[in-house]
Amino acid sequence: MEAGNPLLDDYVLGLAERERPKVCFVPTASGDADHYVVRFYRTFSTRCDTSHVSLFRRDRGDGAVEGDLEAHLLRQDVIYVGGGSVVSLLGAWRAHGLDRVLKNAWRRGVVLCGLSAGSLCWFQEAVTAFHGAPTVVRGLGLLPHSNCVHYDGEPERREEYRRFVGDGVRPGYAADDGAALHFVGRDLRRVVSSRPRARAFRVEPRDGEVVEQPLPVSYLGDAQRDLAVA
Amino acid sequence: MTVRESLRGEPQILAMGGGGFTMEPDNPALDDFVLSLVRVPEPRILFLPTASGDPTAQITSFYARFARRASATHLSLFRRHGSARSLADIVLEQDVIYVGGGSMRNLLAIWRAHELDELLVEAWRRGIVLAGLSAGAMCWFAGGVTRSGGPLEVIEGLGLLPGSFSVHADGEPERLPVWLAALRSGELPGGWAADDGVGLLFHGTRMTRVVTSRPGTAALRVDVVGGELVRHRIEPELLGAGPGGPGAQPVPDDIRELRELRQAMRRG
Repeated sequence: MEAGNPLLDDYVLGLAERERPKVCFVPTASGDADHYVVRFYRTFSTRCDTSHVSLFRRDRGDGAVEGDLEAHLLRQDVIYVGGGSVVSLLGAWRAHGLDRVLKNAWRRGVVLCGLSAGSLCWFQEAVTAFHGAPTVVRGLGLLPHSNCVHYDGEPERREEYRRFVGDGVRPGYAADDGAALHFVGRDLRRVVSSRPRARAFRVEPRDGEVVEQPLPVSYLGDAQRDLAVA
Repeated sequence: MTVRESLRGEPQILAMGGGGFTMEPDNPALDDFVLSLVRVPEPRILFLPTASGDPTAQITSFYARFARRASATHLSLFRRHGSARSLADIVLEQDVIYVGGGSMRNLLAIWRAHELDELLVEAWRRGIVLAGLSAGAMCWFAGGVTRSGGPLEVIEGLGLLPGSFSVHADGEPERLPVWLAALRSGELPGGWAADDGVGLLFHGTRMTRVVTSRPGTAALRVDVVGGELVRHRIEPELLGAGPGGPGAQPVPDDIRELRELRQAMRRG
């Protein structure tokens, strides 16, 4: 849902392999922010069957899914998790049993995707920097790695992530804004990007040091055209 | 100990069945009453809109109500505000913590995820006034009745106050039978129900006053005695009616000037 840049959204929809995929938005990490929900519908409603889950207005609906959330989520082709606070996200999901439902959806082949907090949540361990200094939180653990996002945007996160991995946090993956890690099962299949210079790294300890290994990134746009424009 | 800390009294909680700035934009009586509970001249008040997911409209109403009366800030658990300060530092320097309504299940789960529940208990012990409405009121009790999952259901609270609490007794009358059934079955302990506009004030764990911003409203005390529900209606004091009521004290010039300066900085 990057403004004016549909490349990552197109890529996700491509994974669904459906003419008109069912896509459900889960904006919990933002507190179900109205503007975010509107942006989702603007982005996807013309080419997908769209819906969203609100964990804050289950009594009032407001157009969100009502009743059996599990049945609805298991019918989706793609579940799209928005950004915000991963700590608040995980707390609210657990309180509504959504953690279990999403694991179930993943096992059944529903494509799970998300950015920022919506990326961190799938991993065993994740670096968050919401209140105060960066800390490590436990995610849902579908992916047995660690994860750090906004790797280019916030230098402190990069330093802290490397320090955490040095101190025993499991090895994992870091991604710049615009870079997306595509996992099939528990393994990284591919790194794609919506921005020509977005990078991703494997971060792991090697011989007593924490090594940042750049990963090959496939830019999803037209590299030739972008160069010509530049 | 700072002057601010020395002016703190015993623990206080104002639990509102509904009302205050989110529900009564034209009636400041309950919010004025909240501020009258602290002794410092320029109280610090922190708004926690967690239960509704930090909606902008609630936050805006909060500042509209309190920015001129107090040193007002809010704490978002969904959006970053660029502060590197710890939650403990932010919470424990307050004089009042005001909790908005919404989903009680989310409220408690998210507080726990951030370990904010423990900080709020600590704040209460230190004499920082806790106030709130709806989910933000029930959370302090042993339990209440919520719509967090859609249908009405019983939910456990933090248990600072003994007994249970049911809100919006007049505004959402369908809550009351669910609450009473939970009392009868023993799922919830006896407690209070409050209409919109009604606030129950607790010193420590003892209820000391019942106030209201709306004439004609009431609170209800219900206990189970020998398997039967025993109801007792409580007539609240109507706020803003008497000469010594909250809001009657004039604001000193220096304090007013400080507030205007703060406002200008916030706008700046």
